[in-house]
Amino acid sequence: MSDLVERYVHQVGQYLPRKDRADIEAELKSQIQDQLEDRYGQSPTDDDIVTNIAEYGHPYEVATSYSSEQYLVGPRLYPFMMMVLTRGWVIVPSMILFLIVFSTVTSPEAEPFLDVLVTIVVNATQVTLIFSAVVILIFALIERSNFDSDSADESFDPQNLPEVNHPTAVDRTELIFGIAFGAFALVAFLYFLSIGGLTLHFGTQNPPDLVPVPQLWLALLIATSIIMMIVSWITLRRNRWSVPLFFIEFLLETFGVILLYFVFYQPLLQPILNAVPALNSIPFINNAPEIVAVITAIGTLLSKGSTLISIWNYRGSIPLSFSHQTDN
Amino acid sequence: MSDTDNQINKLRLELRRGIIVLAVLSQLDTPRYGYSLIQRLVEKGLEIEEGTLYPLLRRLEKQKLVKSEWQVGESRPRKYYVITADGRKVLSALSEDWFDTVEIMRGILQGDNDE
Repeated sequence: MSDLVERYVHQVGQYLPRKDRADIEAELKSQIQDQLEDRYGQSPTDDDIVTNIAEYGHPYEVATSYSSEQYLVGPRLYPFMMMVLTRGWVIVPSMILFLIVFSTVTSPEAEPFLDVLVTIVVNATQVTLIFSAVVILIFALIERSNFDSDSADESFDPQNLPEVNHPTAVDRTELIFGIAFGAFALVAFLYFLSIGGLTLHFGTQNPPDLVPVPQLWLALLIATSIIMMIVSWITLRRNRWSVPLFFIEFLLETFGVILLYFVFYQPLLQPILNAVPALNSIPFINNAPEIVAVITAIGTLLSKGSTLISIWNYRGSIPLSFSHQTDN
Repeated sequence: MSDTDNQINKLRLELRRGIIVLAVLSQLDTPRYGYSLIQRLVEKGLEIEEGTLYPLLRRLEKQKLVKSEWQVGESRPRKYYVITADGRKVLSALSEDWFDTVEIMRGILQGDNDE
């Protein structure tokens, strides 16, 4: 029956990390034997052993008392992850809904309403699950990279805290969302690159509705997306915009508008007009891609440009003074 | 067990958590193995469970406040723990804090009754 001790210790070991297992098992065994000897002398009965071991509790509980708490995503990053996820849970299904309704409306063949509904539900669920998995994976990687580690706290200087609404202040949720969404878009762009055009039929090698796009522009869009994600990552780690970083962001966004024109707006015009001939009667419809691109470009230049100027004007004004202004 | 009893038990555990570190470090001037350390603390009036002590000893060892060595000369192999130089410094600092805290808390807890 003394093998009960062996069996118990072995079970505890099953729940322990391999590197500590032998040492903890040996110590636990020695400890139980010491205790048995102390309480019941040299030859404890089977019942004595059972009573003694029962006091220790379930092997799993004993093993967990040795391990420190481990997180996939820790308490510091968890609120940001939930902000990104909840935002995505609204945006991603809406986007799928829009894309499928759009493709149904522009499709030359009429599909039964029920089929469309099922496609929407299935695709929205699938894509939202993949989006959630990508976001959780990104946060787990940030957690692993010791983001905001304690060493960062050592150099903490309250004087360097960004002012509320300061132009260099970073909206972390927006940046993380941008990275997660960028990763997601990147997968789609790479798929488009591999099949040579745009489609809503993911996962098939020869989709029926392939819209060819210039490969060079698509490759440039992929490269730009990657650089934008890197800029967001660096900014996230610095927790503040700098003039060079924001300038790169500004250039990339502006360049992105040109890329979107060549990759999406222009190639999609003709298929849409073919599908819905009534659109031809709209004035300047043939220039729609250019109009959309110019409007987007002006919007980007105005919003990003004004922020860039504010950051430029603020450079060198560090250390920042504390602002005690209240709006009320 | 009532909710209040549960709360008391939970808070008591929290209160004891730091004290146990101090108690363990204070008894490791001479090398001791786990079970002998438990007995020693029980003799002095401090009950400590095995499930608390062994993980704590490993944590203290990782923090280099104690060091350990397996000894195989006795009836069975035993792992002996002894305080390190760093551990002594920590013990000395924490002991001072402890006595100060006891004084302060006495003032706080009994002071209210005096008023």
